[in-house]
Amino acid sequence: MKPTATSLSSAVNPPVKVVLVEDKPGVRDSWVKLINSLPGFACVQSCTSGEDALRVIPSLKPDVVLMDIFLPRMSGIECTARLKLQLPKIQILILTAVEDDELVFMALEAGADGYLLKRTKPEDLKAAMLDVLGGGAPMTSEIARRVVESFRRASKQTKQTVHLTTREEEVLILLSKGYSNKEIAGQLSISAETVGSHLKHIYEKMHVRSRAEAVARYMTSRA
Amino acid sequence: MQRWNSQLRLETRFRRGLLACLALLGLLVFPTALKAAPGETGNSSVDWVLEATNHLGKWIWDTNTFDKQTIRLVKPFAVPAGEKVVQATLRITVDNGYTLFLDGEEIGRGSDWRTVTEYDVTELLAPGRHVLGVEGFNDRLEGGLIFGLHIELASQQVIDVTSDKSWLVGPGDGKKWAGTRLDTATVRSVIVIGPMHAHPWEIWPYGLATVPPLHPLLVHFWQRGWFELTLFCMAAAALLFSLWLLTQLAAQAKAQNVLRVERVRIARDIHDDLGAQLTQLLLLGEVAQLEQPETSPARSQFTQICDRARELAHAMDEVVWAVNSRRDTVRDFTSYVCKYAQNFLGPTNIRCRLDVEPEMPATAFDLPVRRSLFLAVKEALNNAAKHSQADELFLRIYRREQKLSVAVEDNGRGFDPDLPGGERNGMTNMAQRMVEIGGTCGIVSQPGGGCLVVFTVPLPARRAGWFRRAAREDGPANEIETSGSGP
Repeated sequence: MKPTATSLSSAVNPPVKVVLVEDKPGVRDSWVKLINSLPGFACVQSCTSGEDALRVIPSLKPDVVLMDIFLPRMSGIECTARLKLQLPKIQILILTAVEDDELVFMALEAGADGYLLKRTKPEDLKAAMLDVLGGGAPMTSEIARRVVESFRRASKQTKQTVHLTTREEEVLILLSKGYSNKEIAGQLSISAETVGSHLKHIYEKMHVRSRAEAVARYMTSRA
Repeated sequence: MQRWNSQLRLETRFRRGLLACLALLGLLVFPTALKAAPGETGNSSVDWVLEATNHLGKWIWDTNTFDKQTIRLVKPFAVPAGEKVVQATLRITVDNGYTLFLDGEEIGRGSDWRTVTEYDVTELLAPGRHVLGVEGFNDRLEGGLIFGLHIELASQQVIDVTSDKSWLVGPGDGKKWAGTRLDTATVRSVIVIGPMHAHPWEIWPYGLATVPPLHPLLVHFWQRGWFELTLFCMAAAALLFSLWLLTQLAAQAKAQNVLRVERVRIARDIHDDLGAQLTQLLLLGEVAQLEQPETSPARSQFTQICDRARELAHAMDEVVWAVNSRRDTVRDFTSYVCKYAQNFLGPTNIRCRLDVEPEMPATAFDLPVRRSLFLAVKEALNNAAKHSQADELFLRIYRREQKLSVAVEDNGRGFDPDLPGGERNGMTNMAQRMVEIGGTCGIVSQPGGGCLVVFTVPLPARRAGWFRRAAREDGPANEIETSGSGP
């Protein structure tokens, strides 16, 4: 491959370390090749199961984990929750064959930082990884709607301690109405970066809120 | 007589109460429950001087007389046709007791043989044949019946039916008797013991007890046997029919459930097998594409293959979504349509705005309705993308009184709905689709004023079945468990 501007710059910076968790061998090989083909990214390890990932990842300290949802025994969602518990800073992208909002929402609650369709183009894969590494928190309008609904539902319960701020809810509602981050920034007279950081906070609140119950749920069921 | 009356009245009252209860319960009561009406005779008065013209016949009895004897006597008589009974008085006493029947209905009982009881039967005697029946009981020693029915007709004519040798007698057989007919094997004529005040009844009977006039028992049609039988048959038929319906419903529900399970299975098979393989194919294509030199024609061909595979995967998702019954709720439909609109309008210049009612219910949403509504919305989006030149499109989904509405509104150049043209055909299609599923399609547009299309479909009133909700609750987790080991 001819050296390009990005690959030159990545020669200076160490490449982004990626770990792939995927059980099907054919798909795994293809993904490894795809990741390695992206300039500035290196797939340092591929795991065949969630258990494998939990054993290997803490010592490897990768930047990004690409996690399949459907894994034998331990699901990708559970694996995500456990990894986030050990390594809160790690970025996890969920890979899903089909855009199932319910599953995606569960994964995001469990601590995933984003999700990708398996049939996504290599450029989009790269963009998504750079996005999460750069502190972005991509959210679709459908997920935004679910987040608002879940927080509203939860706020009716008495024990709820985590709440969205008014601004965060505004951002989510605009997002759920189909506005882009840039348009939201315009509407609320804030910068696009601020919108991004609001979203990041919303994600964090989701994790905080779900962590206690998720930990209880996942840990006890696997004890 | 007195005591017997009050007893009977009590019994009647009890029976009436029971009847009311039974009627309330919708149960069937046979007319016999009211047959005790003769008991409503009230107080009888006793006149201690028997008139000389008492119209009574002779003492009669069976050939043999013994203690504890029950005999049955019948006497037919007729009231001439075309006549009207002005007054009919019936007098009777039996040593020791009797039950009196007229035309098969019991009209009185008596056990005080020392007095004659007088019944006013005027209203019971219509022209035609009648039959008197007496069940007599002799406690000990002599037994005898003395009887007289005096009928005055409107034509001044008088008919007297008295106890004489023409009466027929038979033994009592212990069974309940209707008072009309005797067993032909044992029937015989009575014997006449003697006239009134003959031995051993020289001083008896010495009194006359008068019973208030008897009225024909009014039997309402709903108290008649045939009606009750019909009602019973109808109720039985209705019961059987509803049971049959229930079994049909159960069978249908079972078939529906089988269908639902099958749909889930097919959807999962398509998703797991085809989907996974398609993804693998796509990834292989991407890798193969990477391995080609950037300028080679093979690389662009691989790119095309990958794009086609992506389109295929997309089309497959749509099929899976359409057949998967686990996703056939209003909520799933809403999110699917929103996502579709966003993806569809993503590459265009139209910004897609969503305005969706929060907390859409998990109400079940039948496949044909779901599919038609989706196709109609798709067509509306397609029209907007192709013709409207709008830069903003609102997709609104909301519920109103058990109806779901999807509105597609753009701010484009609009059109005149009355003018024929390409867009108009599309509109007809959409309207047709909506009519097929019992919905409506409203289009508002004018040149330069954008276009608003509203589809409204009825929602089923029932909530999603508990099983479906239960399935949804453990659904995603289940899917992970079962599909995790899949391809």
